[in-house]
Amino acid sequence: MSLPFPFGFPAATQLYLVLLVATLLVHMIFMHYVLAGTAYLACGRLFGRQRAADCGWQQRLADWLPFATGLAITAGVAPLLFLQILYQREFYTANLLLSHRWMAILPVLLVCFYLLYLQKSSWISRRAWGWRVVVTWLAFAGFGFIAWSWTENHLLSLDQQAWAALYAAGELRYATAGLLPRLAAWFLLAFPTLAIELFWQGWLVGEPLDRPAAESSRVLGLAPVQRLAVMGLAGLLGGTVALIAYAITLPVETRAAVTGPLGGWWLLALGLGFCLQAAVWGLALRAGRLGRPLAGLLTAGWLLGLAGLLAVREVIRLEAVDLEALLPQHERAAGIGGLPVFLIFATLSVAAISWSVAAVRRGLVSG
Amino acid sequence: MTPLIPYPVVDLGPLMKGLVIGGLGIFHVFIAQFAIGGGMLLAYLQWLDMRGQCVHGRRFIDGYFRVLVLISFVVGAVTGVAMWFTSIQISPQTIGVMVGEFHWVWATEWSFFCLEVVAGYLFYRYGSRLPDRTRLSLLVLYAFAAWMSLFWINGILTWQLTPGAWLESRYVWDGFFNPGFWPSLIFRTITSAATASLAACVLINAVPAFSREEKAKLIGVCARPLIFMLAMPLLGVWYFATMPADSRGWATGGSVPMTMFLTMAVGCSLLVGLYAVVAILRQRLFINGATSTLLLALAFVATAGGEFVREGVRKPFTVRQYLYSNAIPPDAVADLRRRGCTTDDPYPLRDAEAYPTPQLKLGAKAFRVQCSVCHTLEGVNAVPELAAHWSIDQKRLNIAQLQRTKPFMPPFAGTPEELEAIVQLVTWVEAGRPPQWQPSNDPAVRQQIARWLDEAGTGPGYELAAAAAAELAAAGSPLR
Ligand code: HEM
Repeated sequence: MSLPFPFGFPAATQLYLVLLVATLLVHMIFMHYVLAGTAYLACGRLFGRQRAADCGWQQRLADWLPFATGLAITAGVAPLLFLQILYQREFYTANLLLSHRWMAILPVLLVCFYLLYLQKSSWISRRAWGWRVVVTWLAFAGFGFIAWSWTENHLLSLDQQAWAALYAAGELRYATAGLLPRLAAWFLLAFPTLAIELFWQGWLVGEPLDRPAAESSRVLGLAPVQRLAVMGLAGLLGGTVALIAYAITLPVETRAAVTGPLGGWWLLALGLGFCLQAAVWGLALRAGRLGRPLAGLLTAGWLLGLAGLLAVREVIRLEAVDLEALLPQHERAAGIGGLPVFLIFATLSVAAISWSVAAVRRGLVSG
Repeated sequence: MTPLIPYPVVDLGPLMKGLVIGGLGIFHVFIAQFAIGGGMLLAYLQWLDMRGQCVHGRRFIDGYFRVLVLISFVVGAVTGVAMWFTSIQISPQTIGVMVGEFHWVWATEWSFFCLEVVAGYLFYRYGSRLPDRTRLSLLVLYAFAAWMSLFWINGILTWQLTPGAWLESRYVWDGFFNPGFWPSLIFRTITSAATASLAACVLINAVPAFSREEKAKLIGVCARPLIFMLAMPLLGVWYFATMPADSRGWATGGSVPMTMFLTMAVGCSLLVGLYAVVAILRQRLFINGATSTLLLALAFVATAGGEFVREGVRKPFTVRQYLYSNAIPPDAVADLRRRGCTTDDPYPLRDAEAYPTPQLKLGAKAFRVQCSVCHTLEGVNAVPELAAHWSIDQKRLNIAQLQRTKPFMPPFAGTPEELEAIVQLVTWVEAGRPPQWQPSNDPAVRQQIARWLDEAGTGPGYELAAAAAAELAAAGSPLR
């Protein structure tokens, strides 16, 4: 393939690839908030009630995590749909091979969801602090399990050679060299996203993050923005190491596709995005504050990095599957009507969502 | 011909796969009905409250919405995804076809999910601090989005039983607006409204701060949507009229369990409807917590019965005339009878060493592909139990002419060798799985099986019955 992803594929395949990557990006926005957010909260809870009260980020996370989970689930449905058009056989087979183990993510998700409501309930606020520690750690473990399962399922879907033997063995677990580094990459790269999201959440409620921080808002000597910067930088650094470790486990031809014309530009975007984020967080760490223009640049870097990451992820998959065998299904799906109806209603829904948010803002001001 | 993808078959042990998806489906549908009807009821209450016609309306709306979020946003959302994943576990081919044909419809439904979640959460979080008009707008948006998700999914679910003109045109909107679409949509809308009303009665009783009089007043208001239940018999008749005759036949005497479930659904709905009219709407009786919980439980049983019938009457198809219950397309049966249903299956048996002969191994593989979606070997609906009193030739005949044995089964789609292997497997299990088993390889037996298979043809049972009836009518004699 001499053109960058997704060009060079048949039009139908291109359409669904773009939709998959775009909707998966939205899923990642919320999933990162949930995964890194519960981890941050779980660790923060270890430092006791007073620290938790001092740390505005912990309070915000405790408050918003249930909603973010709802959004992560809802946003997961769209890529799930396009995934089934693009790689139906691969995705279904991996699901079936992992069977009960895979299905376990659903009750775990349910329990985690309720644990997040529980950790912000008045019931728990009347209990000993240890309860919160346990509840948040359980939720974090649950989301960690779900992330592990998605990665395991994804990698198994790409390893066609392993399917029959795994089925015969009746093992509901798939272990491969790439699993841990890949999972580590997703987990660690969730923190830079969370850091940016928390920054904008703070900005939306009028926190003075572009000014030197008040002494009372410091935790461990770090201003709120500095804590975000540490989180972002650590995530980027750790995530990059994990990505390199994962790349080492890939077959040579796959690595060639990632660095070649198909994935090369996206790899560049990923690198650029990471560097941009690291630079802005570095400045914020030194200054102890972050203004809107720099935050805009940071967000652009994050978007570039995540888009690059997801495109490279797809390039790796396209190298592993028998694409020729899948193309007729893409072609057939694209020939089925309904796209205009979707576009019309999706536009109306987005308009209605925007209107609702604006109406609530107005209502809160007037109320 | 529709391409067949061999998937690894999941083994749920003694559990019948249909029961697993059915059980989850019932639960999910009930929660979804609560969410849809709840949205409509709360928008109505808010409107009444703004006109000063609903004492304590605002307080109750906020409390009810909290429950709605905690139940429907969490359990509803997760069971929705679970339905999808479970469908993949039970019949990947079926859900694959549904996704392929209706992905834009599903994507449209998803856009309403997003609206539902955002509008709902905004109300949940800020509703108590918002002016009345904004509250009403949010509730209306929430209710509309929730109902639209019903609108879209209803088209896909009814298509499975009554694909209508789609079978010829393969045009998505022919499939979507199929004959069962409108009666089912209106019926489900009313069911949702009724479920939410009954849930409201339970909740009102659970609020200790309300006096008995206040409770009675609120219940009187919340119960109003139950009046629409009066239209249910008519809608039921309309829906039944759109069903294929053989499917209708199952629910009206042709299949004892389906008839019983239908009776259960109708009976429970009738009880709820009668109680609603006499006690709640005419305000002759005060409905307390226990009674309202019982009524809600009856509504659940009615939903369960209705969903069981809806799933059951599709047999022998999962998509009428397009995909048999075992996910084999009708146009693939003849080919599979020549080539074998296990030939392209790359997945070995998990317990191969448990079978003493290659023939039994073949039987286990063929059973897995053809029968295991509805049957087990040693659990619910186990074939060895169902066929325990059949002679060996009867087993051969009955399996070769499966669609005649019970017309809610699809025709057998394998070679005579595979069929004989299943017969041997079933007999071996009946015999308590002895370590030694004599293989049967009499060519005369295989030839006889092939003749029986040819005789039955590759169509569904109801077609055979219709052809036989036409033949009898033409011959003018009931005795042939
Ligand atoms: C909040 C809990 C969840 C977490 C922590 C989570 C985590 C993840 C992770 C780590 C991946 C990347 C897998 C990889 O590339 O190795 C992923 C992908 C994905 N997730 Fe989620 N997820 C969650 C919930 C969901 C839900 C509920 C859905 C569906 C409704 C969903 C849909 C998807 C899809 C479709 C993909 C892409 C899979 C692929 O391309 O093979 N996720 N998720």
